[in-house]
Amino acid sequence: MSSLQRLRNRLIARLITRFPHLAKGFIDNYRPWESEGEIPWTAVSKPLRDCRLALVTTAGVHHPDQTPFDMRDSDGDPSWRELTGETLPGAYRITHDYYDHSDAEKDLNIVLPLERLRELVDEKLLGSLNRRHFGFMGHIDGRHIPTLIEKSAREVAGKLCADEVDLVLLTPA
Amino acid sequence: MGLIQREIERAGIPTIGISIVRDYTAKVRPPRSVFLKWPFGHPLGEPGNISQQRAVLFETFRALYAIDTPGTIIDLPFRWRRENYSDVKPPGAEDLTPKTAS
Repeated sequence: MSSLQRLRNRLIARLITRFPHLAKGFIDNYRPWESEGEIPWTAVSKPLRDCRLALVTTAGVHHPDQTPFDMRDSDGDPSWRELTGETLPGAYRITHDYYDHSDAEKDLNIVLPLERLRELVDEKLLGSLNRRHFGFMGHIDGRHIPTLIEKSAREVAGKLCADEVDLVLLTPA
Repeated sequence: MGLIQREIERAGIPTIGISIVRDYTAKVRPPRSVFLKWPFGHPLGEPGNISQQRAVLFETFRALYAIDTPGTIIDLPFRWRRENYSDVKPPGAEDLTPKTAS
């Protein structure tokens, strides 16, 4: 994808974030993956105050020293990044041309609510936060959808199981 | 996002997702969702609006324990920039506990 096309994507993203009614055309034109058959289900077995929670976001969040998501592929980048849960300023970067992340850059909590969740842990509403979280880029299409489901999502699910996470909260962009 | 959510749930961890495009979520069919009719890039709300972000988390966790049918999407009542969140209180412990002990 050329840099001109990337610029175009970013301009559209800015417009539809500012004027949400314009987004309707894009939403109607895009045919999302349709899942068939049974929906996976695991019952919640613990009260929230005993749960270890991990965040998974598709807002394109990664650390500055990690490879940014690949924006040149029009089908998106189905890989993932491990996030440390750090809340220091400058600890994260967002690479995602398909939404306007200027607000998320002012306050990462609107896509990755680490500070809010830490407060809930302090208030003893939530048990704890896992030592790591996971960042994906949304906007995955075409040949990358099977990669996302069969490879990336299962790799991350395996890591969350290894961490004995009790609960996962997912946030989009 | 829902596709990732389904794989995590399949692996044995309960999940809840925040949706901002209801039509996509209804097609991808993740196990549990709350929906907000808010602009892209703002699933928890506006930058710096702590009580708003807390309100979203409170309702999301309430939904986690309330949903007992796979694929349920709960529509949250918050209108974009037209709500006052200053007196939002956390749910009681009874709303953040599984209904049936396992």
